[in-house]
Amino acid sequence: MITLQTPIDQREIEELKVGDQIEIEGTIYCGRDAVLPKLVRLIENHDLDSIGVNLEGAVIFHTAVSPAGIGPTSSNKVEIEGSIPALSKAGVKIHVGKGALSPKTVEELKRYHSVFAITPPVSALFSDKIVSQRIAAFREEGMEALYQIEVKGFPAIIAIAHGETIFASPRGG
Amino acid sequence: MLCRKEIEDAVETCLVKAGTTFRPDQLRAYRNAISAEKNENAKWVLERILENAKLAGKNTSPLCDDTGIPHVFINMGSSLSLPHDWLSAINDGIIRGLRIMPGRPMAVRGNPIERVEQSRGLYADPGKLSLAPVIVKPGKGGKLKITVLLLGGGPEIRAKTYRVFHQRSIDVVLGEAVRWASSEAKNLGCTPCVPAIGIGRTHVEASALMLEAMKEGSLSRQNRWEKKVTELINATKVGPLGLGGDTTALGTFMKIGPLRASGIRVVSMRPGCCFEPRKAAVVLG
Ligand code: SF4
Repeated sequence: MITLQTPIDQREIEELKVGDQIEIEGTIYCGRDAVLPKLVRLIENHDLDSIGVNLEGAVIFHTAVSPAGIGPTSSNKVEIEGSIPALSKAGVKIHVGKGALSPKTVEELKRYHSVFAITPPVSALFSDKIVSQRIAAFREEGMEALYQIEVKGFPAIIAIAHGETIFASPRGG
Repeated sequence: MLCRKEIEDAVETCLVKAGTTFRPDQLRAYRNAISAEKNENAKWVLERILENAKLAGKNTSPLCDDTGIPHVFINMGSSLSLPHDWLSAINDGIIRGLRIMPGRPMAVRGNPIERVEQSRGLYADPGKLSLAPVIVKPGKGGKLKITVLLLGGGPEIRAKTYRVFHQRSIDVVLGEAVRWASSEAKNLGCTPCVPAIGIGRTHVEASALMLEAMKEGSLSRQNRWEKKVTELINATKVGPLGLGGDTTALGTFMKIGPLRASGIRVVSMRPGCCFEPRKAAVVLG
């Protein structure tokens, strides 16, 4: 088990291998289909500071945040997977979600020294790991707003790193 | 005669129990899978799912943040006497359960077109998630059996109801259902799955039989055909979360209804997911 403290250092990413079991300590941003494209637009307009979010060494978890808890949504949905290259370029080191990603995204992750981790939909366990949570931006999106959570021992497995993928076969439809 | 409050309270309790606890057959199936699984990452996922179930039960918190769409299945005894508003009591019990658990506030606002386009956002109240049409079948004597099931979104994306040319062979029919389930398992993400299969005369009937299979099925009680379907899906080696290993399906639930003279059977296959079937039942009267 490898413990990673945010913000995550480039050297720590280089040492990670596909199949490594990790636990994340510190800050995780939570967002999915609705807000990740909005974040990308802010990055493209060099306007990320306007919402006070720093993505250098950051972890993004593909999830909604509701009174029912958090849990991974499928990362291979267009809006989510499409945001991964720009977010990686802006400094995100670990994207956490579920499901296989395309060979193109595997390459983009490698190019921007970022990795993809997957985690089971264990909402009760996640609730036990959350120390605090707040809305970071895009409040109007309700449970799909950008949330910032503080966690202790958030579990995941490295699924894609340095051009390697844990998924045996290419993803289907 | 049963009173309205008795029904409402029982439905509320069932909904919360369905969404927050593992049944003994699920616990047993996971423990067996963990001891049999040789892939270390697959084992890690199965252990986290079991740990999650223990915490959810202890804290009465949802097993999964997709708390699902509530479905109710009724078995009504012939000598049962019910209050005239029993259906609205069930509905109110569902609303109360969703608020208490709490359910994920995911009901879509607006008129039919706005709902399809999701252009007016969501209700903040989890109780707004209305109940799916209730299925009623005959039951025993003066008893009312209520089963609440919570159906998650992932398996809905991957379910299929379609005709199969049976060629007078159960192997042909189940082989097709296995093909559907196997190709969807790798895209589901939330494996291990528990496929439910209904075989009937019409699409509505096959879907209802599929739900009845979920209602009646136990992972500790599998017939030879259910075992065979599970084995064939496990041969895909998709594994928990798609990480590989021997545990792609924990079991299968199957229900065959009355059939008609025809070259086809209508088959409904819903793959289920690692927490399903989320269900709880009560018998009143
Ligand atoms: S598929 Fe099942 S386990 Fe996965 S998110 Fe949906 S309800 Fe939860």
